[in-house]
Amino acid sequence: MRILSFALVAMILGTSAARAESVLVLNSEDASYSVLSRSQRTELKRFPVGREPHHLMPTPDGSEILIGSTATNELLALDSKTGERRRIVRDIIDPYQLGFSADGKWFVTAAYRLDHIDIYQADGFKLARRIFMDGLPSHLTFDAESKTVFVTLQETGRLVAIDLATQAVKWNTQVGSAPAGVIMPDANRLLVALTGEDRIVVVDPRDGALKGSLKTGKAAHNFWPKGDGRHWFLSNRVEGTVTLLDVRDMKVVGTIKIPGGPDDMAISGDGKEMWVTQRFLRRVAVVDLDKMKMVASIPVGKSPHGIMIMKTDWATGGPVRAASTAGERK
Amino acid sequence: MRDLIDFWVGIQTWLFETLVAPVLYQLDLMEWFEPAFNAVEFVMLGAVQIAVIALGMRVIEKRWPLERHPDERLVRVDRVYTVLNKLGVVPLLVFSVSYPITNEIEYFVRALGMVPPRLEQMVPGLADNALASFLVYFVLYDFAAYWVHRAQHRFSWWWALHSLHHSQRQVTVWSDDRNHILDDLLVTLSLAVFAQFVGVQPEDYVLILMVGRLIESFSHANIDLSFGPIGQRLLVGPRFHRLHHALATAHERHIQDHNFAPVFPIWDILFGTAIYDGKARPTGVDDPRVDADNGRGWLVQQVTVFGRFLRALVPAIRRVPAQPGLRPPAE
Repeated sequence: MRILSFALVAMILGTSAARAESVLVLNSEDASYSVLSRSQRTELKRFPVGREPHHLMPTPDGSEILIGSTATNELLALDSKTGERRRIVRDIIDPYQLGFSADGKWFVTAAYRLDHIDIYQADGFKLARRIFMDGLPSHLTFDAESKTVFVTLQETGRLVAIDLATQAVKWNTQVGSAPAGVIMPDANRLLVALTGEDRIVVVDPRDGALKGSLKTGKAAHNFWPKGDGRHWFLSNRVEGTVTLLDVRDMKVVGTIKIPGGPDDMAISGDGKEMWVTQRFLRRVAVVDLDKMKMVASIPVGKSPHGIMIMKTDWATGGPVRAASTAGERK
Repeated sequence: MRDLIDFWVGIQTWLFETLVAPVLYQLDLMEWFEPAFNAVEFVMLGAVQIAVIALGMRVIEKRWPLERHPDERLVRVDRVYTVLNKLGVVPLLVFSVSYPITNEIEYFVRALGMVPPRLEQMVPGLADNALASFLVYFVLYDFAAYWVHRAQHRFSWWWALHSLHHSQRQVTVWSDDRNHILDDLLVTLSLAVFAQFVGVQPEDYVLILMVGRLIESFSHANIDLSFGPIGQRLLVGPRFHRLHHALATAHERHIQDHNFAPVFPIWDILFGTAIYDGKARPTGVDDPRVDADNGRGWLVQQVTVFGRFLRALVPAIRRVPAQPGLRPPAE
């Protein structure tokens, strides 16, 4: 009996430790970010941050989390182990979507409201070039060699490839209605989610040629990797679903109903749960990935957008398995 | 509180996903997805404002009227203005014109390499205090609105439009939205450009509009109410604002050039345009062409006032000097 009790306690503690993760959510229209407890499935605290924070990204060394405050033109850097505020990086204009190249040399922002793409040298955030690009620059991804950044233009329906070294536009092509999330699952393909349609398209990264498409759900919007290199989740904002894609065989292998305009996603360190921002409902959905079903919905602030799951509680500190809203970085 | 939020966003989401999102999707307007969702909330808040006016302010006004209006026929058209404004019809028209203009201004400023200052970056602690930030922007916005209001009275062409607001002989809580669409557009453009340069944010802007417009609706109430010797100097009330709508007389020809402030009377006190004499006066405009607005419906008012505006504008155009290249050679 004593052994059984011990085993039960160990099991409970083990489960609890595995789920001891903090979740960071940006409330884009509340000018705040929420810190949630994954294990308790509740909001622990809400902190102010500039204005209109939309997306966040870990620095290449994983030591900081950068939150883009779009309307105050700055980045707030949090200590990724403790959540403490470290610094504010000024004069990053309208940092709506942000990302680092794989080699950590380049930092790129898409200024959605102000129609430009900014390429910075990541070390010191020195602006290399501002490229004005009509059409609501939306999401971005990099190639594995850190030579090219690909940016979707939501209003004009285009995808643009920019050479990072020269900051010259390599190609600029029409891909469909309101393109948003873009990923590069392998060296030969870009996948672009079309928010104005119900599908994703396949684009050749060398020249922007369209190579195919796959029907998913109305207003296909953003990607998030499952973590096995083969499957990606995709939010469909009007359909109110998240679909699981097999990007190797290019087929839909699962669908999860998530009401309230599902947008950005993050997966827990143990791979058991996915958390999804429900923009309209001011909530975050918790999905059980074994059951492929939404099991909880947690209240947060207004229009929750970017989300990231840390590996440990910020109260105790610890290493971070950084995940970000850009989707393409693992 | 959370239950109330869930109830509110539940209705908003249902309305949006049922009525608006499918239309945006079909019309290929998905870049307006988020703004349209907020627009649904704007309309819902407008409905709440109408309810507050109709069920709250109007009851007070009926119970303690300053002027008795046996025939309220003249007030009916003001209700139409209120509904069209609060439920988003007029704001949508104004937005569709003003948005591209303010966007172009912002792009131009950015192209010059200028970044408008943000108060949060200049005032320590402001970025971390949403309430303080809101109040600061509210005061600044009201300051700008005070000067825009003075301009509405200062320029003859703008007065031609704004006089529609003043022409009402039976000023009530419904009168605040009684404006020509072009007047609404000019005011919106002026304040939006100001907001861009001082950094008023969209979420603040909506809240400022909501709070401000409710205070302004109440300041038009047909009641003789002030907030006391100190209160009436802190917040605009019905007695203070009613003087601004007073009918000019031989002794008070410029009575309407006083008490301009929309919400905070401090601007009138600072700039010498405040009058606190406690006298109740009849309202309206002592110009028969303007007074003729009374009794007309919404559409006729919009058309005739636009004609008034053009007639006021044409002499101004004539006064503009010819372009240098077209001038006759100097003698």
